[in-house]
Amino acid sequence: MTTAESTQPITALLDAETVLGIADQVWPSLVGDGEVFVPVPAPPPAETVSAWVDITGPWTGSVVLTCAPATAEALTASVLMTRPPVVVDDEDVEDALGELANVLGGNIKSVLPGESRLGLPKIGSAPSQGRLDDVCRVAGQWRGQFLTITVQGAADAPHAERNEVPL
Amino acid sequence: MRALVIDDSRAMRRIVGTILTDFGYEVRQAGHGREALDVLESGSAEGWVPDLCCIDWNMPVMDGLQFVFAVRANPAYRQVTLMMVTTESETGQIVKALAAGAHEYLIKPFTPDALRDKLALLGLLPEGAPA
Repeated sequence: MTTAESTQPITALLDAETVLGIADQVWPSLVGDGEVFVPVPAPPPAETVSAWVDITGPWTGSVVLTCAPATAEALTASVLMTRPPVVVDDEDVEDALGELANVLGGNIKSVLPGESRLGLPKIGSAPSQGRLDDVCRVAGQWRGQFLTITVQGAADAPHAERNEVPL
Repeated sequence: MRALVIDDSRAMRRIVGTILTDFGYEVRQAGHGREALDVLESGSAEGWVPDLCCIDWNMPVMDGLQFVFAVRANPAYRQVTLMMVTTESETGQIVKALAAGAHEYLIKPFTPDALRDKLALLGLLPEGAPA
């Protein structure tokens, strides 16, 4: 792999359609039959929670799933196939949201060039973003609630200058 | 038939375990490879050896590939069928797992039908499993 290939921003490697295609496979399989991630932006909530996995390789960054805490609980109940009255605890949310990020991240990693490593899922406040052009975000909703999938370069990821394309 | 589901995600263990139980399996679970080796060891002592292990790749403590190596190194588990169930979908990773001794590979996300097809290929779909 050339230096230029190894330092391309995510926008040169992946588009929103690809991310959406992966989400289309993940939602019915993991969240439940008939469940869909709808790529229509919804108003952002006052408070959000994120789950993410890091990808380390020719491209280094994170795949981040962000939603409101209430949406995270509803997603968890759906993933765990709990029936009303729904009782999910913080550990359940961490586990289910993390697994969603893990499956999204693993499939996104597979379409990136070169050999990469996938980290274990984390949950909390989303990691800092790197350059503005190293972000591929799909803003959408699930059951009418705000939810975004962001593929973002690490804040300290190396980047080639735009005039460093090899001849 | 008996299965051991190994995944650090409780949600995924529950999903895979529920599908296998519906197919007629008796299922035990472990959160990582080291714990799975303990389950195999304690199970052996009571005569419980799984026909199938469903193994995630990325786990803390001991990952799925290390678990496959450990199981394949132990003749007592020669008859256990090992199936990776993971998001690691690159050809290189699949080859690595199969070379280490895994028999099959199922990529997340998957449907119950996809798991059924893999079990049928392996001859591990219990008789009477619902269609």
